[in-house]
Amino acid sequence: MTDIRGPYHMRPPIMTVKVEDSMDIMIVRDTTRRASSLLGFAPAHRAQLSSAAATLAELVLKTGEVHTIHLNGVLNGTRTGLQISSETPWLAGVSANNVLVALRSKLGDLVDEIMLEGKDPPIILMVMWLSEAQSRSLVDEE
Amino acid sequence: MALEVLLVEDSKTQAAQIKETLESVGLRVRVAYDGPDGIREAIENPPALVVLDVKLPSMDGFQVCRRLKRNPSTQDVPVIMLTEKAGPQATMSGLRAGADDYIPKDIFASEHLINTLQELGILE
Repeated sequence: MTDIRGPYHMRPPIMTVKVEDSMDIMIVRDTTRRASSLLGFAPAHRAQLSSAAATLAELVLKTGEVHTIHLNGVLNGTRTGLQISSETPWLAGVSANNVLVALRSKLGDLVDEIMLEGKDPPIILMVMWLSEAQSRSLVDEE
Repeated sequence: MALEVLLVEDSKTQAAQIKETLESVGLRVRVAYDGPDGIREAIENPPALVVLDVKLPSMDGFQVCRRLKRNPSTQDVPVIMLTEKAGPQATMSGLRAGADDYIPKDIFASEHLINTLQELGILE
């Protein structure tokens, strides 16, 4: 299993879901809700994140290969967010710009950032950030 | 006295299941079987929460949610959309219509519904 990094520091929760069949899409959705709840996202944002993660899971399922969806907290300065990511070896050799345009058109409203990192294999990363106030309150609680 | 939920759901079978879930956590449930009835019920006697299906006869759940959020007597009533339409577009349509949460009807739906009720302060 590749260590999913991305540009931000990782923080708990760190969760993974193996996507093998359509049942796993529900599990991805459920796990994303749990991860986003642990970070303090509001219900509407949990709905957005779980929809983004389930859509990514559906996408990887269509390739016919078993993949893993990674869900982890991320830190950027004082801000905390949730990152959803997956290796996408089938995208190797495909123009990153074209992939990003397609992903942003489908999922851009659901998350704050969509990135494609690395080449061997490329990794799709999506991040939604808590507001500054919510991030501060999370740090205070911890 | 138990808080009252207005459930707007056209399928009697699904309405019975959702009602049972809500009653199991101590809530009282009124059911409306279409959008216009749901709006009328909500305005005449505002509930603590509306649980709203998307696919309804004569007026869909997005329209119902927008009407409730525009009406002064129901604009502050939380709305949870509980739906079979789970894609990114439908999710954003529900949230843009003013829904407080958008929950797909899958095997985890009851659990997510109860978690959201706690989050919204409907349940302790």
